[in-house]
Amino acid sequence: MAMQPHSKKRVCYYYDSDIGNYYYGQGHPMKPHRIRMTHNLLLNYGLYRKMEIYRPHKATADEMTKFHSDDYIRFLRSIRPDNMSEYNKQMQRFNVGEDCPVFDGLYEFCQLSAGGSVAAAVKLNKQASEICINWGGGLHHAKKSEASGFCYVNDIVLGILELLKYHQRVLYIDIDVHHGDGVEEAFYTTDRVMTVSFHKYGEYFPGTGDLRDIGAGKGKYYAVNIPLRDGMDDESYESIFVPIISKVMETFQPSAVVLQCGADSLTGDRLGCFNLTVRGHGRCVELVKRFGLPFLLVGGGGYTIRNVSRCWTYETSVALGVEIANELPYNDYFEYFGPDFKLHISPSNMSNQNTPEYLEKIKNRLFENLRMLPHAPGVQVQAIPEDAVNDESEDEDKVDKDERLPQSEKDKRITGDGELSDSEDEGEGGRRDNRSYRTPQPRKRPRLDKDGSTIKDEIKTEDSKDDVKNISSVEEPKKELPPNP
Amino acid sequence: MVLAERSNDVRNGKRSRGPSPNGHGSPDSSSEDENVIPFAAEKIRVGRDYQAVCPELEPVEQRRPELISDRALLVWSPTCDISDIKLDEYITTAKEKYGYNGEQALGMLFWHKHDLNRASMDLANFTPFPDEWTVEDKVLFEQAFQFHGKSFHRIRQMLPDKSIASLVKYYYSWKKTRARTSLMDVVSEGRNATSSGTGKRESGAGSEPGGSDKDSDNDEKKWTFHRGIVRGGKSLAAGGAPQRAAGQQGAQGEGGGESAGKWCTVCGILCNQITAHNSQKLCQACLVHARRTGTMRPLCGPSGRRGPGSKQQRYKHRLPRGIYINHDDLVAMATGPQPGDPPQPGLINHGEAMLKAMDREVISLKRQVQQNKQQLSAMKRKVGDTGVEELRPGEPPAKINSRWTNDELLMAVRAVRKYGRDFQAIAETLGTKTEAHVRSFFISYRRRYNLDAMVREHEAERGNAHHIQAGTTSTESAETGDNTNNGTDSSQSTNKDEKMEVDSEGVAIGASAEAGGPPTTPPKHKPAK
Repeated sequence: MAMQPHSKKRVCYYYDSDIGNYYYGQGHPMKPHRIRMTHNLLLNYGLYRKMEIYRPHKATADEMTKFHSDDYIRFLRSIRPDNMSEYNKQMQRFNVGEDCPVFDGLYEFCQLSAGGSVAAAVKLNKQASEICINWGGGLHHAKKSEASGFCYVNDIVLGILELLKYHQRVLYIDIDVHHGDGVEEAFYTTDRVMTVSFHKYGEYFPGTGDLRDIGAGKGKYYAVNIPLRDGMDDESYESIFVPIISKVMETFQPSAVVLQCGADSLTGDRLGCFNLTVRGHGRCVELVKRFGLPFLLVGGGGYTIRNVSRCWTYETSVALGVEIANELPYNDYFEYFGPDFKLHISPSNMSNQNTPEYLEKIKNRLFENLRMLPHAPGVQVQAIPEDAVNDESEDEDKVDKDERLPQSEKDKRITGDGELSDSEDEGEGGRRDNRSYRTPQPRKRPRLDKDGSTIKDEIKTEDSKDDVKNISSVEEPKKELPPNP
Repeated sequence: MVLAERSNDVRNGKRSRGPSPNGHGSPDSSSEDENVIPFAAEKIRVGRDYQAVCPELEPVEQRRPELISDRALLVWSPTCDISDIKLDEYITTAKEKYGYNGEQALGMLFWHKHDLNRASMDLANFTPFPDEWTVEDKVLFEQAFQFHGKSFHRIRQMLPDKSIASLVKYYYSWKKTRARTSLMDVVSEGRNATSSGTGKRESGAGSEPGGSDKDSDNDEKKWTFHRGIVRGGKSLAAGGAPQRAAGQQGAQGEGGGESAGKWCTVCGILCNQITAHNSQKLCQACLVHARRTGTMRPLCGPSGRRGPGSKQQRYKHRLPRGIYINHDDLVAMATGPQPGDPPQPGLINHGEAMLKAMDREVISLKRQVQQNKQQLSAMKRKVGDTGVEELRPGEPPAKINSRWTNDELLMAVRAVRKYGRDFQAIAETLGTKTEAHVRSFFISYRRRYNLDAMVREHEAERGNAHHIQAGTTSTESAETGDNTNNGTDSSQSTNKDEKMEVDSEGVAIGASAEAGGPPTTPPKHKPAK
């Protein structure tokens, strides 16, 4: 794969050496040890010495209640394996006990994970760093007063709240195989945070993340869900990730980005069902990095721990813009990586149930929604810093490039105006003026593509006349789903 | 959470022994029924109880970023004043001389504000505490683990002075140590598989002292655990075990060849010290016996070099290729203080120290191997996919001509020195001759230019390079294996990747021109024609 030379950035990395010592319980797939494995691997790759390394403070209850309810945090602080019986009622209320067991040091674990993400957000706010990494974070299922899916405290929400002090709009992208429901719910009604989640949907935890869930109230159209089927491979993933993210960047114009890098979307994950390789997963990091915005990378799921540490090590190298060898260096957990001791993994031969047509329909439908967003001025058609355009759109492009472009422009304005009436309190004008101090400027780069296609191409496809038909057919697969047992 | 794959997990009998470890239902028992049903109803909820309250955007002029605390402690920042090589050197010294880990070494350097000299000098003053896990602790942990599985709070009841965090940490580093010691099991399993395939040899599984204990963990990975080695001192000290082990060594002595060390002529085992006694060369144990009793030490169990019927059993007890057990080392391990014993002042456990030293050696070799691999792949990438093809001169300027000019003869002789009997490589180098031409040149000028000597020189060079590369894995047994063991040799060379093709003169055919990389390249051998 011919990759563009990475640009060098100042990278800060947050890690506490205690985090690998927490243990969810026998047979539990979540293993904090994977964070230590990642750390050890990147230390031995020589990546450690190229970053600023921070040991985060433990987040205080005060910091955590910026999002979570006081009751819930108080509960987390006081519960221990030896006093669980006194808390039966609260455990039910806060959904602690099953997937989210009470384990030794639970509260400290939450403090370290949240402390890392908050400290990273602060660092970005101070403009002291371009990219911050906290592999101990990314616990995206945790709700305001409820634990869920191995997550207790939502470090991502806390980090974003910190970023919002200095950033008018923050973009959250989630490439975990599970829906990022905790973060989506926390910001479901605000237009200052857009949540974009790519996830397996249909008879799968947590059950949310339908294509039609788009946010509510002021936040309508600010939640973007990309429901996917089993077996996503690198190519299909990029074919949907690139156009969606480019479009989101263009229309939403965030001034900071948070990327949740859940590694359970990798092939061979113990709980996941996608077929991505480390390269395909890391490609998402690379693509987001290219927009050059303040960038917070957090961990997330990932239950085949040797692949998790491979993935996050590679993504650290991508963030740093350093190439690392495919042969793993010797490290404390070397034997975990046998028999090949290589960094990269091969996809399995599982079938990809996401057909190009299905992905195309989803994409069109989401473009439709994104067009409902109020426009930032002067960003209609720009070259995006992305050179990969999916193949389906290319054929049509050549046919009538010039003819259809004005139409798409008109469409955009019309829908933009219509949007105003839809929610009056949008405060659109204010938004324009109050643009954050760091106006994102998608770098204009000469296209390296052979056929010179630009964002125009994508706009065009979304305007195709059979939109209506598409929308209805997109919903079809959902109806086909087998009923839950 | 969907834990569908759960049923596929290979569960280990051990784990089911105890009741549910955490005092509450394990997540797998309930997740299926409880989580699938509500899926249909899952919706993002809206309301004060669910959404976060976004903070106000601080106006630019009111921002005071410099006043905000970092909420984190800086432990390392990159520097461009020190070259990577110097930094690596520093870290290696800190690791090997003072027992630091990489992170601690960099921490020290950072503390000294990236002053390499001052940090290096200070290393000795702050050596980290050595492993706080004593041998007793480790043995206790192992026993507790066998009993309770990964239920750390139960294990802790047997090791009350350890925190759960410390137990978890130790568990994860111990888990892979088991894999490291299991090499013998892996190899012998592989051999059993081949032997049952050919139907020629008996299974040797029962011969391992203590048996091998299989375990599988949640990463769907199998670890085998060789107790005979982990607790080597103990099991060997007990009863007749040493002799049994000695029998194993004897068998190894046959196959392993003389090159690896000295062999006792009575019991046929490998050891460090050999003493001549009554026209025999004896190991320490045999020598003591002979001096005391005047007779040779009687041996029970399969012996190394005696008895016509021992051949079959020899196969059975043969150690995997590349693994030897040195008798003197065994004695050192068996006679030192045992893990269970109270520590005695003045008595150092030599066996323990020896194992540790070997461990360190293995690690540094592995590190070296991985570094070499990385360098190789980097070089390969630099060369590109086409390899050396594009660096070759285009069409041969001169036509193929069977007549040899003086220059060509000179070049050919030099090429023989460089490539040995790889006629194809020589032909390619010359450019004006075919492989057949070179072949006939070799035969006709063999004596005149003393080509055999050239070939020998070439082989000596390659051979040296090869030995360095083989290092720990040792190919000696294949090279010097005597004829009675031919069957074993062939089965071994199939399951080892560093196999050597041996030609009639007992020397390796040199690598082809393409593989003529640095000496660390595992040479690619062409089968002899």
